[in-house]
Amino acid sequence: MTIIAHRQVENDILKEKVFAYTLYPGLELFILPKKGYNKKYASFATKFGSIDSKFKLRGGEEKNLEVPDGVAHFLEHKLFEEERGNVFDEFSRLGASANAYTNFTMTNYLFSTADNFEECFDLLIDFVQNPFFNEESVEKEKGIIEQEILMYQDNPNWRLFFNLLGALYNLHPVRKDIAGTVESINMIDKNILYKCYETFYHPSNMALFVVGDLDPEKIKERVVKNLEEKNYSFMGEIERIYPEEPLQVKERIVKDKMEVSQHLLNLGFKDREVGFAGRKLFKKELVTDLLLEIILGRSSELYDRLYEEGLINESFGASFVAEKDYSYVIMGGETPDPDRLYSSLLTGIKEYQEKGIDGEDFKRQQRRILGEFLRNFNSLEFIANNFLAYYFRGINFFDYVEVLLEIKEEEVMERLKELFQEDFHACSIIYSEK
Amino acid sequence: MPGFITKAGLLLTNFKTYNLPNGIRFHLYPTEKFKTLVFSVFLHQNLRRELAAPTALLPYVLERGTGKWPTTRELAKAMEELYGADILTDIVKRGERHVLQFMLEIVNPLFVPGEENLEEKGLEVLKEVLSNPLLEEGRFKESYVKREKELLKNRIEGLINDKVSYALERCIQEMCREEKYGVYRLGQLEDLEKINSQNLYEYYQDVLARAPMDVFVLGKIDAQEILPLIEKAFDFKREDLWEIDPTQIYREVQEPRYVEERLEVSQGKLTLGYRTNTAVTDDDFYPLLFYNGILGAFPHSKLFQNVREKASLAYYANSRLERNKGIMLIASGIEINNYDKALKIIQEQVSSLKEGDITSYELESTRVGLINQVRVSEDNPYQIINRHLGGIIGGRQESIQEIIEQLKGVTREDVVRVAEKIKLDTIYFLRNKG
Repeated sequence: MTIIAHRQVENDILKEKVFAYTLYPGLELFILPKKGYNKKYASFATKFGSIDSKFKLRGGEEKNLEVPDGVAHFLEHKLFEEERGNVFDEFSRLGASANAYTNFTMTNYLFSTADNFEECFDLLIDFVQNPFFNEESVEKEKGIIEQEILMYQDNPNWRLFFNLLGALYNLHPVRKDIAGTVESINMIDKNILYKCYETFYHPSNMALFVVGDLDPEKIKERVVKNLEEKNYSFMGEIERIYPEEPLQVKERIVKDKMEVSQHLLNLGFKDREVGFAGRKLFKKELVTDLLLEIILGRSSELYDRLYEEGLINESFGASFVAEKDYSYVIMGGETPDPDRLYSSLLTGIKEYQEKGIDGEDFKRQQRRILGEFLRNFNSLEFIANNFLAYYFRGINFFDYVEVLLEIKEEEVMERLKELFQEDFHACSIIYSEK
Repeated sequence: MPGFITKAGLLLTNFKTYNLPNGIRFHLYPTEKFKTLVFSVFLHQNLRRELAAPTALLPYVLERGTGKWPTTRELAKAMEELYGADILTDIVKRGERHVLQFMLEIVNPLFVPGEENLEEKGLEVLKEVLSNPLLEEGRFKESYVKREKELLKNRIEGLINDKVSYALERCIQEMCREEKYGVYRLGQLEDLEKINSQNLYEYYQDVLARAPMDVFVLGKIDAQEILPLIEKAFDFKREDLWEIDPTQIYREVQEPRYVEERLEVSQGKLTLGYRTNTAVTDDDFYPLLFYNGILGAFPHSKLFQNVREKASLAYYANSRLERNKGIMLIASGIEINNYDKALKIIQEQVSSLKEGDITSYELESTRVGLINQVRVSEDNPYQIINRHLGGIIGGRQESIQEIIEQLKGVTREDVVRVAEKIKLDTIYFLRNKG
C-alpha cells in the first residue's frame, strides 16, 4: 500500500484546487494545477531548521545529540553535491533554475522551469534523497559559508533583527544566526552531516509541493514509484529538544553601532501564548496580523503621527511570527531619534489599549488582507513555499480566507491587550556611526 | 500544437496599442491568467544631473494627497477599501533615460463577487495621484514637499546601508563619471536643496504635459469596456513632447582605472565595470546575452564555478548587464586579503572567453537558461509589461517567439566576436578601514 491517504482541497474564493496525498512511508505530496502557466515549480522541504540543534538519535544509539549552530544550512549547501558532481550544473543543463534556503524551522529545495519538467523533477527528488558528503568538500564549503556569514554581518537590518531576538530570548535557539558563526561551522564535519540527514530527511518529516500546468495523476505516480525504489521503512516521531525558555526577556535593550546613514530601531514583544499548532495557531497569527495593520499600518493614526513628526519613514513596518514554540512581534525601521521613537511607540500602543480599535478600521483591514492574499496567488513560488511552511505548522494554507473572515473585532481587541505588555518587550538599536 | 499557433501569429504579441487623442500610448494585454488587474503608467525623462532629484521627488509628493483624498491617511484608506490596491511608484534608469513608474494592482473582480466597478475605482485612484495633486495656493502643499525632501535626502544617503548595492552603484558612478549614466537615480543632495513647492509644481506640470507617456493595462479586461475609461482617466491637456536623447553606448577605454574606498566593513566588495560596446539594437545583442550568461549569470557560469566552487573565495560572484547602457558589471564579496587572488581568477575567466575557451556544456546551458527566463517571464504581469516597455525604450520590439528563435541561433563564434569588444574600464574595491 503506497498511498496512505488522498484528498482534494478546493477553495471557492480562490478558485484553486490542491490534490493532496500521503504516500508511504509518510511523505506529503501536494499538487496544484495552474492552467496556462509556462513555469512549473516544485519544492521539496524538510522540517529541519536552524533551531533543531538538539535531538534524540535513533537506531542503535538512543542518546541526545547536540550539533554545532548552522548545521541545517550547511547541510543544505552540501546536499547539492553528488558523487558525480554538483547537481546545480545538471539543473543548468536542463535550463531550470534551482535553489534552496534554510530558515529557523525548515530547509527547502526547489526549482522552476518551463521545459524538461520531468527530468528536473526526478533530479530534485533524487538528489534530496541521496546524500554524499566527503571530508574534502565539507572543508571547502567552509570558505564559502564564511563569506556568506560575513556578508550578513555587514547587513544592518540583519544585525538589528538578531540583536533583538538575542534580547527577547534567553535560551531558545531562535536567538542564533541561521548560518551559525565562523567558529561553529568550523566544527562541522561529514559525520555530523550524516547524523542530521538520517534524522531529519526521512520522508515522514518532509513534504513536496508541485505547481504548474501539470497532470496530478502522472506526478503522483512518479513520486510513488520513486519512493518504492528506495525501500524505506516506517519511522516514528523525531524527538527535538528545546531548552525551557523563561517567559521573561533576556535584556531590555541592546545597542550596536554601524556605518549606516540613519539610526535603526526594532521593538519586539515576546508572545507568551505559545505551545500549540494547527488552526488555533493560524487564527492567532491572522488576528495579530489584522491588529498590526489596524494600529501600525499606513492608514493608522499612530503611523500617521510618527510620520508627520519625522520619527519614521516608509521603511517602518511591523510583523508577527508565530511558531509552535516561540512567537514574537517586531516593529521598527530607520529613525533620526531612536529614543523618542521607542517611547512614542510604547505610549502609542498603550493609548490604543485604553481607547480600543475602530470598527471601520477592522473591516477595512480585513478586506485589505484578503485582497493581498488573493494577489499573491499570481505567484507560484508564493503558493508553494507558503503551503509547505504552513503545513509544517499543522495548518492548511487554503483555510486562510475562512479563518480571516471568521475573526471578530473583540478577538483583535483582546489580543491588543494581552500581547503588548511592557514587561515582555525588548528593543534593539543600531546607531549610525557618522 | 504550439508551432501551429505561432505560425498563425496569434501568440506573436498579445499587446494591442492605441494612441489616445492627447498623444499618450495605451497598451492593452487581455489575459485571464492572473488573479489581478495591473495598471501602469510610465513617464520618460532624460537622465540629467540637475533633473534627477526633482524627478525622483515627484512620485513621493504625489502619493501624499490628492484633491479627493487630501491626506495621506485618506488616500491609504481609499486603497485599502479596494481590497488593498497597491500603488507602487519607482524611479528607474534605463540607459540614459529616467523613467517614472506608477503601478496599480487590484484584485480581479471575478474573485470578489458583489463588488462593482473595481476597475473604474482603481483607475480613479491612479488618475487622482497622477493628475490631481493636492494644491495649496496654486502649488504643491508646502509641508508635504518639505517632509518628502527630508525623506528623499535619507534615501540618497541611505545607499550606503546595503553594501552589496552600494558597491555596484559606486562602480557605475566612477566608471560613468563623465557620462549622464553616472547620475544616481535619486539625484544629488545639492540639487534637492534647491527644490521648493513652487518650482517642483512647475516642473510637475511640465512633466505631465510633455513627457512621453505609456499606459499599460493587463488582466481580464475587454478593450471596448476599458478604452473609454482610459480616455477619461488620462484626459489631461498635453503639449509637444520633449525629445529623449539617445544613450551613449560606445566608448574607448585606454587604461583601466582603479578606485578604492574604505568603510567600516567585514567583507570586501570587488566590482569590475566593463564596456561591452554593444547596443540592444545591434546584431551582437543576443551573443552578448550569451557572453554574460557564460561568464556570470548562472550557477554553471565561469565566475560561480571558479571563484566560488573551485577556489571557495566568495559566496557570490556574478556578472550582470545594464543592457540599455551597454555596460557589464562583475561583483563579488570576498575576504579583503584575497583581493589579488580573486581579481586574478576573475580576469582569467574574462580572458578565457576571448580565447574561445567555451565548452558546449557552457554554451548550451546558457542557451536553455536564457530561453527558460524568457518563457517564465510570461507568468508575471510586471515582467510582461516590463519587456514591452523595454522594447519601446530599446527600439527593438520582439515577440517571445522571435526572441527564442534568435537565442537558438547564437554560436560560439558569435560569443567570441562579442568578447573582442568587451573592455575593462574600472576596478572598484570597497574595503575595511585601517
